[in-house]
Amino acid sequence: MRLHSGDVSLFAWRALKGYPARTLLMLIAMAIGVAAVVVLTSLGEGARRYVSAEFASLGTNLLIVIPGRSETAGINPSTMMGETPRELTLDDAVSLTRSFSVRRVAPITVGSANVIAQGRQRESVILGSSHELLAIRRWQLAQGQFLPDTDLDLATPVCVIGSKIRNEIFAARRAVGEWLRIGDRRFRVIGVMGSEGRSIGVDVHDTVIIPVASAQQLFNQSSLFRILVEAKSRSAIGPAKQFVVDTLRERHQDEEDVTVITQDGVLATFDRILNALTIAVGGIAAISLGVAGILIMNVMLVAVSQRTAEIGLLKALGATRRQILVLFLIEALLLSTLGAALGLAVGQLGSLAIRYAFPLLPAYAPAWSVSLSIVVAVTTGVLCSLLPARRAARLDPVLALSRR
Amino acid sequence: MYMRDFIHLAGTSLVAHRLRTVLTSLGIGVGIAAVVLLTSIGEGVHRYVLSEFTQFGTTLVGINPGRTTTHGTSMGVFGSERPLSIEDAEALKQLSFVEAVVPFVQGNAEVEAGNRRRRTTIYGAGPQMPEALRMRVNSGAFLPDDDPTAPRALAVLGSKLRQELFAYRNPLGKRITIAGNRYRIIGVMEPKGQVLGFDLDDTVYIPAARALELFNRDTLFEIDVMYRSNVRVERVVDGIRRTLMARHGREDFTITTQEQMLDVLGSILNVLTFAVAAIGGISLLVGAIGIVTIMTIAVNERTSEIGLIRALGARQSQILGLFLGEATVLAAIGGLAGLAMGLGVASLLRLVLPELPVHTPWIYVVLAEVLAVVLGIISGILPARRAARLDPVEALRDE
Repeated sequence: MRLHSGDVSLFAWRALKGYPARTLLMLIAMAIGVAAVVVLTSLGEGARRYVSAEFASLGTNLLIVIPGRSETAGINPSTMMGETPRELTLDDAVSLTRSFSVRRVAPITVGSANVIAQGRQRESVILGSSHELLAIRRWQLAQGQFLPDTDLDLATPVCVIGSKIRNEIFAARRAVGEWLRIGDRRFRVIGVMGSEGRSIGVDVHDTVIIPVASAQQLFNQSSLFRILVEAKSRSAIGPAKQFVVDTLRERHQDEEDVTVITQDGVLATFDRILNALTIAVGGIAAISLGVAGILIMNVMLVAVSQRTAEIGLLKALGATRRQILVLFLIEALLLSTLGAALGLAVGQLGSLAIRYAFPLLPAYAPAWSVSLSIVVAVTTGVLCSLLPARRAARLDPVLALSRR
Repeated sequence: MYMRDFIHLAGTSLVAHRLRTVLTSLGIGVGIAAVVLLTSIGEGVHRYVLSEFTQFGTTLVGINPGRTTTHGTSMGVFGSERPLSIEDAEALKQLSFVEAVVPFVQGNAEVEAGNRRRRTTIYGAGPQMPEALRMRVNSGAFLPDDDPTAPRALAVLGSKLRQELFAYRNPLGKRITIAGNRYRIIGVMEPKGQVLGFDLDDTVYIPAARALELFNRDTLFEIDVMYRSNVRVERVVDGIRRTLMARHGREDFTITTQEQMLDVLGSILNVLTFAVAAIGGISLLVGAIGIVTIMTIAVNERTSEIGLIRALGARQSQILGLFLGEATVLAAIGGLAGLAMGLGVASLLRLVLPELPVHTPWIYVVLAEVLAVVLGIISGILPARRAARLDPVEALRDE
């Protein structure tokens, strides 16, 4: 007997349509698995993209110089905060500009202080930095201008305030040109930061930026918290890092007491962590695909025993074992493909809903998870129907026909 | 209908289709195993983190310089116009409910002993640190109760640093140089291990005033206050706030209680555990759909049988109970198998990855089994109702 592929698919299709309730349930089971994998990995991918974007907004080709170094490799919390006997100074920052591979350098000091104007006060974050910071961090100004381009050790009494500070203290009135008291010193407001700025570590809205020398006077310290160094290009990051380490070692009496981290390095770490999380979560969701596979196997087994007579007839008409096997496998293939397609549609709708509900989170299901979940779904479906299909193929036509 | 017959009827149908029963139960079992395993890992991590925190004791209050309302941590640690001083720490000792006060400064410097050197973490601390943070001295003594503003140059080593600098020689009484200043070693701490990323063994402890001098700062990072356990935390916070406000003239510091931190951490970890369990629960849902499917098929297959029982006088509710019972038994068997699988994998994980904390509370085990049974009942309802509603005449004719 010859089987036409059209006949085979029609046969499988009719078999599925013959039991709509059970087919529907199996489709739902498969679809739940695929949809879960798609939605969860799209969440993970969204988180990864969000973090990448945050890091990109830090600036590009960035090196961060942190005072202190721990013998054990890597960065740990104790190097992220902490003091060193030989501090990073403004002169250190200036010395870092003397290289072809370095484009910009911005020293940073951080602290908190009381900000007072016109009877209103607020405790806020004070960021001491320089003119270059705006370009390095790609921030936008809403009004006025940024810190003036002067020598780093000039403590000009000017400040740039975040939009939240502006709203809290100046409310509807004009802020640029007014005096602002920070701690026990007076500063002239010369600019207001744009509203976009929320990036890792600092909430720009709630920050007052003053010249680094002024901040050092305010907090009575001569050390820097960080130095941000922007390399000329991507390929210049390596040489720039070497230059920074060498220069600072020379300046610090041959003692290597700083940690230099590259933005790429930190980003790669985060990428790895979030990717691993996405894979883990997707994997856990994929367990349900296995459960759906078990269900398909179960139902196919039932179907084989119910359709014994039909199989017997086919065999009596001359169908080979192989043809019966293919017949049932095609049925499983059809079932799991339909289920996977349904699941994919639901999953994509789900991630669309997430993107709609949380515009910040670019939740797009990654291609690998979509293709993998479909492949896994279809393979599980077919593999699980192997046992029932073989059982059907092995039926003795005489016995099968005589059953009824 | 007798209970025995009832059980017999439900039981024989399960035994008659052995493979079908096994597979359906397996579906639920895999789901339960996933949920049990994931909640075990979640609970393990929860306990691990909590124990990391509570190993310093729970009657602790931390005071940091600076105050912000929007940020979680205050930027005042890095610099503040109104510093927290050693005198502030001394003033807090006067409070009646205070057991110990430890000023803290942290930094990084090169430590030199003989011809060995190592860059490491320097902690400036007070003499009461071992009792406040439940740390023990291995040999020698901790920093003595000197004049807090002008203490002697004495140092206590963490166990790892001692190993690195002195190997197996006795460090007590030896001199080390920390960033050019000479200190005499008077003690070595017991190993404490990593705590939330901070290696407490690769450190050296020196008096806080000396550390401030070394790092050229005027504000402490933190003051830790340990209070008596019979005093309410609100009173403690209030007392500290009043004392420091009297000294500073305003509230320019942040007080964090250990209790608050534990609460916040606990709730975050609970949400995480729940989320992970819910993801595992997707498999359980699919398993439940499996029960629905198989029970629907069973009802179709046994239409004539149902008709017969009904014709013999069985009530609708009895048929309903029969099929519900069957679904429940399926789920319960699956649940038990799943528990066995989940606990098996959990103990395997404990063997293979000892650093991954896994803990299965008994309440979870019971809850998982209850969950399986409830799922069985829920997924049995639809097919069972269909069976119960069958018209006996029509059903008998089905043959």
